[in-house]
Amino acid sequence: MLEKGIKELHDELKSKKITSNELVKESIKACHDIQEKTNSFVTIIDDATGTEVTDDLLSGIPYGIKDIFSTKDILSTGSSNTLNNYVPFFDATCVANLKKHGAVGVAKTVLDELGMGGTGTTGHTGIVHNPWDLERQTAGSSAGSAASVACGVYPYALGSDTGDSVRKPAGYCGIVGYKPTYGMVSRYGMFQFASSLDTVGVLSRSVEDAAIVVDGMKGLDKHDMTTWDSSNIHLYESLNKDVKGKKLFYIKEICDIENYKNPSEELKEHLNNFKDTIKKCESVGISVEGVSIDRNLLNALYPTYMVIYGAEASSNMANLTGISFGPRGEGSTPDEMIKDHRTKGFSPLIKRRFVIGSFVLQRENQEKFFLNAKRVRRLIVDKMNSLFEKYDGMICPVGTGPAKYLDDSKNEHNKENTVLEEILQIGNFGGYPSITIPNGFINNLPVGVNITGKVKDDVNVLNMAYALEEEMGFKNQIAKEVK
Amino acid sequence: MAYKAVIGLEFHCEMKSHTKVFSGAINGFSKKPNQLVSPLDMGFPGTLPVLNKECVKKAIEMAMILNCKIPEYMEFDRKNYFYPDLPKGYQLTQFFNPVGTNGKVIIEVNGEEKEVLIHDIHLEEDSASLDHLYDTSNIDYNRSGVPLLELVTEPCLNSADEAIEFLEHIKRIYEYTDISECDTKKGQIRADVNVSIMDEDSKELGTKVEVKNVNSFDSIRKTINYEIERQTKLKESGHYDEVVQETRRWDDESGTTIHMRSKADAIDYKYFTEPNIPRYKITSELLDDIRKNIPMLAHERKEKYINEYNLSLYDAKVLVKNKDVSDYFEECVSLGSDPKSACNWITTRVLAEVNKKDDTSIKDIFITPSMLAELIKLIEDKKITNNQGKEVFSKMLEEEITPLEIVKKYGMEVIEDSNLINSLIDEVLNENTKAIEDYKNGRTNMLDYLVGQVMRKSRGKANPVEAKEKLLEKLK
Amino acid sequence: MSNFTEEMIDDYANKLLIGLTLEERKMIQQEFDDIEHSMELINKIDGIKDVEPQSYPFEMEVTDLRSDDDVDEEIPIDVLLRNAGSVDGREVEVPKVVG
Repeated sequence: MLEKGIKELHDELKSKKITSNELVKESIKACHDIQEKTNSFVTIIDDATGTEVTDDLLSGIPYGIKDIFSTKDILSTGSSNTLNNYVPFFDATCVANLKKHGAVGVAKTVLDELGMGGTGTTGHTGIVHNPWDLERQTAGSSAGSAASVACGVYPYALGSDTGDSVRKPAGYCGIVGYKPTYGMVSRYGMFQFASSLDTVGVLSRSVEDAAIVVDGMKGLDKHDMTTWDSSNIHLYESLNKDVKGKKLFYIKEICDIENYKNPSEELKEHLNNFKDTIKKCESVGISVEGVSIDRNLLNALYPTYMVIYGAEASSNMANLTGISFGPRGEGSTPDEMIKDHRTKGFSPLIKRRFVIGSFVLQRENQEKFFLNAKRVRRLIVDKMNSLFEKYDGMICPVGTGPAKYLDDSKNEHNKENTVLEEILQIGNFGGYPSITIPNGFINNLPVGVNITGKVKDDVNVLNMAYALEEEMGFKNQIAKEVK
Repeated sequence: MAYKAVIGLEFHCEMKSHTKVFSGAINGFSKKPNQLVSPLDMGFPGTLPVLNKECVKKAIEMAMILNCKIPEYMEFDRKNYFYPDLPKGYQLTQFFNPVGTNGKVIIEVNGEEKEVLIHDIHLEEDSASLDHLYDTSNIDYNRSGVPLLELVTEPCLNSADEAIEFLEHIKRIYEYTDISECDTKKGQIRADVNVSIMDEDSKELGTKVEVKNVNSFDSIRKTINYEIERQTKLKESGHYDEVVQETRRWDDESGTTIHMRSKADAIDYKYFTEPNIPRYKITSELLDDIRKNIPMLAHERKEKYINEYNLSLYDAKVLVKNKDVSDYFEECVSLGSDPKSACNWITTRVLAEVNKKDDTSIKDIFITPSMLAELIKLIEDKKITNNQGKEVFSKMLEEEITPLEIVKKYGMEVIEDSNLINSLIDEVLNENTKAIEDYKNGRTNMLDYLVGQVMRKSRGKANPVEAKEKLLEKLK
Repeated sequence: MSNFTEEMIDDYANKLLIGLTLEERKMIQQEFDDIEHSMELINKIDGIKDVEPQSYPFEMEVTDLRSDDDVDEEIPIDVLLRNAGSVDGREVEVPKVVG
């Protein structure tokens, strides 16, 4: 039953074939069933109960919540030892909004610690395994959300996206990952990582479900000044597959195989598959053209991202001191106590990123590192915006192939691939709406394609993905192995 | 050898508002710790700042009054450092783009005008407060996020007198605009004081010493004088190299400043723009709206009292020194009192009463402006005499009832029946033939004696002016 | 030879109240050399100095601010402090703050 989409589940509930309580119980059981193999959850909310089924599509239906969101009276850890005992007394706005629609949170999912990292391996409760192949990564940071949705334990789960944390794991897990325009969904109650990049997102198995969920979460929030009024935008109602005449571009430097000196077989297949997807775009009426972007700008993408997020994160996470929340450190002075809490609480990756953040913000380094990174951010965004004057969006392959191995020694390391691996960060630089959908298989593992569009043009982006999704036929696919 | 002192001030003042500058918790004083706290004020994960419009408007108003340049946008920055009273790990402030820059104000020091240059004024948030116990400290987040205005002067003041006069001037502006109460007892003001000395005729600035967190005007005066003396002594004894660029603190008990940290230990605050607060456009409409609503300030009221009400400079200054007193005066005038009479009553009797006890404001005494206006009217209407007025005033304070009630209770109404006065005068004239004779022989002071007799017979109810006029008439 | 000494790296970490293991320090040292190298890529871009740094994803001026009269509800003290490791009465307790 839970492998169905929101609308079908709603119909089942409405026709009383199943009650909300039964559905919730079934979902909780399914979560337990996949936990051992995938390690998707920090907390399974065993005492969650059904809600009244109304005409609201979300009512009575269970879903998963990335553990980066504050949930009232439910452990919320950010998958970090610095918060391993934190039980908030308030709900994140997006969670509160879904609650109002009658949605039922049944699990808190594992992430890369505090959202930082893209492997699903740094959470304090351990590694998340890809349900399509347990030796593979899910990517991250919304690792548990992606794995659990791919397993079909509920139709959707919340994610957060600072670089590609919703859209990359969606690609690796063969599902849909949608990051709406920055400010469309309130960030209040989502543990801050890099505030100027952070976005609430959703992982689901269809574009339609992603639209329904974001419709239910979005809106102005008096607790988040960066939210904007989207009351005239109705994502779900606007899905109509009418995409004739739409235009997309792809970046030749990273999407054309000729531009790689030593491409791996996987990358070749991935880019070939991408070419097929472009043909499918054309068959639904979307034209696609290759454009060229300055290599220097593309090469600067990742360092720019690392500098900005390192700086913002080092400041955002300065509230993690173990004083008013989180486990107390030991020490005879407050500084000793805080240092003990942070030294023990943070994983090595976070510490390394913090030190970079601290370094680039030093007075003597700000100009060269931090401000220059923010300047490159503008150049990249300006370039994208000028392209968006001509095109409805950018299309690109997600990552350089299917999910990587958890054992990093089995992975191919090729610096040539960096830009393609990191390209989705553009979506966060400009706050653009961006969606990943599955577009095929390589070595029996799912791969994804991404469409990124203009700020506040979410309807258009979703519609193109919706039309393409239908044409490709990977909608609602489930990773069956695990069950 | 004479040295010139060069002083700069950073003056922090807690603002008045209903709620805090970035959260909806109440900005107020509570005896209960952690009662006025929103999740943001304790830095709970996922909380975000939401800017208070009133605080922004008041900050712009102050920047305008200080003749500052006001930027196109309101923006905030993070000042990053760890301290147990700073729950987010940073303070939200305005580092790159303060709400006001390059301002100036004219103050009066010992009868002379002095221009004070303002480097900038910016809006920021206060930290939590710490209670220090034997081997622990307790954190109370009530103060966390309370709006603060920090005003930074150029190093352009040359004495403690100038510094204090400037701060008094600023304090009056805060009070007159209702931006802050500037209540030192509630810890609402704090100052950082920079002091250096230089040769009188030199152009080379001396070594600057910063004294942090001085929290009363009295301590600021002492700090400045102490530092000037300390630095002068070192210079005179040839040890000026011992004056180093450092941060010190004022110690009230010893009356000295004490080393805190040297320049090498200065913290790098790693400032950067707060991404959670989008830019807020300061439109010309907003500026006009704020400008229109700036109330009349102390020096403007002073001018008005002198020019329109013909008060003396001295009286005008006494009235405007404290906003509550000035408001009290203006209310009396608006209730119809003659400004001169109201001024006389307030600057003498009313303020004497206020000053009897410490910690008493003009708002605390029993006599309200409407009662004083009533009293003044009784006298103007000649219902009671001036002397009776003074008696009524004292009785009001003693018995806490209104002037009319006192007049009634003690039967103090002036006799307006001129026939009755005439007959009283006739009686007096008949009984004092000797005095009349003396008067006619040139002892003019006998007239006052006769008036006194009439007043006695009327038990004080006659109008002495009227009695005198009538007596003169009859003695012709 | 790295431009970044162990002392520098420890200092950056220490300012964030974080302790590093030898291994962590070594990794950071390597990364720093990489970062410096990549940041040079930024400086290769023409006219970078004339670009205004971008702090937000897009221009999103707010036109209205929070009303001063919007007061949050008081949070019961036991709820507010339930996550604190050490509490004294209504306050959060920490080791004595000196200086």
